[in-house]
Amino acid sequence: MGLTVDEKNLKNGVLSLVVTLVEVIQEALETQAVRRMEGGELTEEELNRLGEALLELDEAMEQIKADHGITQSVADLREGLDDVVDELVDKLINPRIAEARSERRSGVSGGAE
Amino acid sequence: MADAFPLAPVEPVRDPQATLTDLIEVLLNRGVILHLDLIISVADIPLIGVSLKAAIAGIETMLEYGMMRAWDEQTRAWVQRSITRTVPFQTDEELVARMAGAHEHTALYRSWRPGTVYLTNNRLFVFRREPREMLWETTLEAIRSIAPEREQSVGGEERTRVRVELADGSITRLSASEPERLIELVRQEIPAAIPGESRSTTTKARLLYQGQLWYHEPRAGGPVWRGGQARIDSSGFTWKAPVDARAAISLQPDEIRSLRFESDHSPTGTVILVVDVPWGSLRLAAQNITDIANALVRFSSGRKELPKPSE
Repeated sequence: MGLTVDEKNLKNGVLSLVVTLVEVIQEALETQAVRRMEGGELTEEELNRLGEALLELDEAMEQIKADHGITQSVADLREGLDDVVDELVDKLINPRIAEARSERRSGVSGGAE
Repeated sequence: MADAFPLAPVEPVRDPQATLTDLIEVLLNRGVILHLDLIISVADIPLIGVSLKAAIAGIETMLEYGMMRAWDEQTRAWVQRSITRTVPFQTDEELVARMAGAHEHTALYRSWRPGTVYLTNNRLFVFRREPREMLWETTLEAIRSIAPEREQSVGGEERTRVRVELADGSITRLSASEPERLIELVRQEIPAAIPGESRSTTTKARLLYQGQLWYHEPRAGGPVWRGGQARIDSSGFTWKAPVDARAAISLQPDEIRSLRFESDHSPTGTVILVVDVPWGSLRLAAQNITDIANALVRFSSGRKELPKPSE
């Protein structure tokens, strides 16, 4: 599991972590917003308001990352988190295949399966 | 038929990469039920109990299960009745430019608050839509200068900030997605706002005094004599220390109730000038304190009594 936080600049690391988590929540909001939009129950005014608000939120996140110069750290952290999720899903869906994969990764010559 | 290619055995393969966003999307789309019973004990003695039943899902899923429909409709209806959520433009105000940006908040700690920077024919302001708040605004006339400033940000990248100095001596910093363009446009709107050119060259701001002044500033631990720049012109009497972000004294003529000299120790001697204002008294000192006193008298339209300093 390779999640690294920049120890050299702790402020940077903590800030990147916080912003990453906020970004994840922001994306969850966006996907649910799309579902609502497709659900067909929102009025046109509500659709516009929602779209503009999400757009401003997105711009604000980009602004925050740019203002503090953490765009790359956040991207790296996201990748790290995604790797964790990927491994987790692997283990849950099929433990044997996951085990075989990790054995191959660490270079163990396979036994019969 | 000649050789047949040996076919590799077909292996079931999952989609390459599950991301955190996908995981959350699936959980919210399907809905999650959480039953949690928890006891936190010390030395095998239960001290804190948590009994939690939670259903978490995207609203569409909730609606599909017949939950929260009334609440959803009430929430959306409430918004219709609340104040308009649009940007607070004044009547006949025209938008010149707008861009994503942020305002540097310096009250308790320094932080950048994101919003949208709007430049109109009348104002420059930073407004945030959600939650609705005017983060900072100024009329264009109050802008003394606007200039770019490069800064090393927390993450290490260099950023160009926008430094705005106002007529009252305060300095505000903004950031913008296109800082140079913003500065250029602001300068077009008010030709006088160029760094280094003070507003006192225009006929509007009649300069009565500008120079060094000591102010016995009230502080939490007791008043402290601090040195700074005082400026008395037709727009106000301001005093600001070089390290401060904004002027500690900013007075209009009618706020000066009276002026008097007092004997007291100060960094420049034994005479100080006391200016009575509605909320208290300001204690000031300078080498040329009588010049400043006379300027203040003229500033407040000469209505104030000024006895000679006692020897």
